[in-house]
Amino acid sequence: MVEMEQLQKEAKEILKQGKVKFVIGYSKGSQNLTATPVFIKKPEHTSRLIWDPTCVQNLVKFIVDDKQKQSREKKPDERPVGIVVKGCDSRAINVLIQEKFIDRDDVYILGLSCEELGVVDEKKIAQKLEGKKIEKIEFAKKNNLIVSTKDGEKKIPVKDVLADRCLECKAHFPVIYDQLFGEETEREVKEPYKSIKKTESQSPKKRWDFWKEQLEKCIRCYACRSICPMCYCDECVADSINMAVTAETTAEEKAQKIKWIERSPALSENIGYHLIRAIHLAGRCIDCGECERACPVDIPLRLLNKKLEKAAHELFDYDVGFDHKKPSLISSFKDEDPEDFIR
Amino acid sequence: MTKDFEPTIVAFLCKWCSSAGSDLAGVSRMKYPPNVIPITVMCSGSVSPLYIFNAFQKGADGVLVSGCHPGDCHYIKGNFYARRRIALVKELLDFIGLESERFKMSWVSAAEGTKYTEIIKDFVKELKPLGPQKKLRRDQ
Ligand code: SF4
Ligand code: SF4
Ligand code: FES
Repeated sequence: MVEMEQLQKEAKEILKQGKVKFVIGYSKGSQNLTATPVFIKKPEHTSRLIWDPTCVQNLVKFIVDDKQKQSREKKPDERPVGIVVKGCDSRAINVLIQEKFIDRDDVYILGLSCEELGVVDEKKIAQKLEGKKIEKIEFAKKNNLIVSTKDGEKKIPVKDVLADRCLECKAHFPVIYDQLFGEETEREVKEPYKSIKKTESQSPKKRWDFWKEQLEKCIRCYACRSICPMCYCDECVADSINMAVTAETTAEEKAQKIKWIERSPALSENIGYHLIRAIHLAGRCIDCGECERACPVDIPLRLLNKKLEKAAHELFDYDVGFDHKKPSLISSFKDEDPEDFIR
Repeated sequence: MTKDFEPTIVAFLCKWCSSAGSDLAGVSRMKYPPNVIPITVMCSGSVSPLYIFNAFQKGADGVLVSGCHPGDCHYIKGNFYARRRIALVKELLDFIGLESERFKMSWVSAAEGTKYTEIIKDFVKELKPLGPQKKLRRDQ
């Protein structure tokens, strides 16, 4: 069991010593629902930190934001950022270090083990409540959630509402950390790619019908890109008006930015956007599920990334985010990489 | 309708081998279907997945990426990187339900004019029964 007090104590300690500029963690949600991110700057506020299965967000995005902010500041505070991470999130940090976006010293990692659980899927909770509005979610003893609606309280075992990604997770404890809380318990994952199995087994026509229906819905709000800790480019190749403009950028450069994808949310353009995004996340997506959670029209975005995660594993024996010293998936190759598809 | 259908193939050929191979087929007056739009690139390793998606968006019925045989790349490792990247693109296109026949990769050396014509002949033969590619195509 992760002791919340220990986490708070450690956070307090590092803030007191000035080791970190602030600690990013989870605190009680303002609506009494799932946890909400919190930035703690003063040691006396660390009692706000919590840890339970409602801590769904991947906070690593804030590290990316901070790094980008620093690069614009004249005298940035170069002390590390303290951050609370789960197993999946820790792998995001590994990828950022691997890609030299951040240094190891930029972060002070407070790692939490999910042990036998993980985090909840809000949609699964909603299903259990048959449309009733949630007033409060509490994490109680024996790994249960107490969910209150206007009709009273309902006890739901966390195990029944775990996010799919947690059921398929290969690293439910941090793979990189400065302090670890909880146990590195073993747990067996029978089907690490279960969620894409159904789609994979269908005929190309069925698969197409499925994706057509899904991607037609996309309104290209780019929430999936904005929330992704791996989408840190200043300029997005898939978005023609997203351009890093500096004082030196000439009008000509602006005018000549290549437009690979039209801005209209037409099916062909949506597909183009999502194909590019998926490919650019191959060997980088750590399956935190944030893109899918942020999508306002419920597109199962995880599946695209999961497919490439599986391909990387099966074809190239590459697992994302376990070792930041290894070269990345597409900046490396092996002589024996498969080529049976090449004539 | 499909009987008269002539597929359009966009072929990304690396300058040093595959493009030279297609030239050889040309200057040797070998016969092969005129369905290809060849685009010379410096190396198969320089083919971004974007080029491939965009070719399909602009109406290609099939896309071919062709480079030097492993070990022969002018830039030594370009085709090894390409091999990985293209494998991933293939997986992805398959997964969203594009017919896998529509996307191919090959190694064609500067001496393999015949192999190039064979590849194109077979590609056209495979594409004909599929009809026009409309899934990724942008409506004009
Ligand atoms: S968040 Fe959803 S709707 Fe918005 S761009 Fe991404 S997939 Fe499209
Ligand atoms: S693509 Fe989605 S699941 Fe993958 S790292 Fe980005 S936000 Fe997380
Ligand atoms: S130059 Fe031909 S593949 Fe690199």
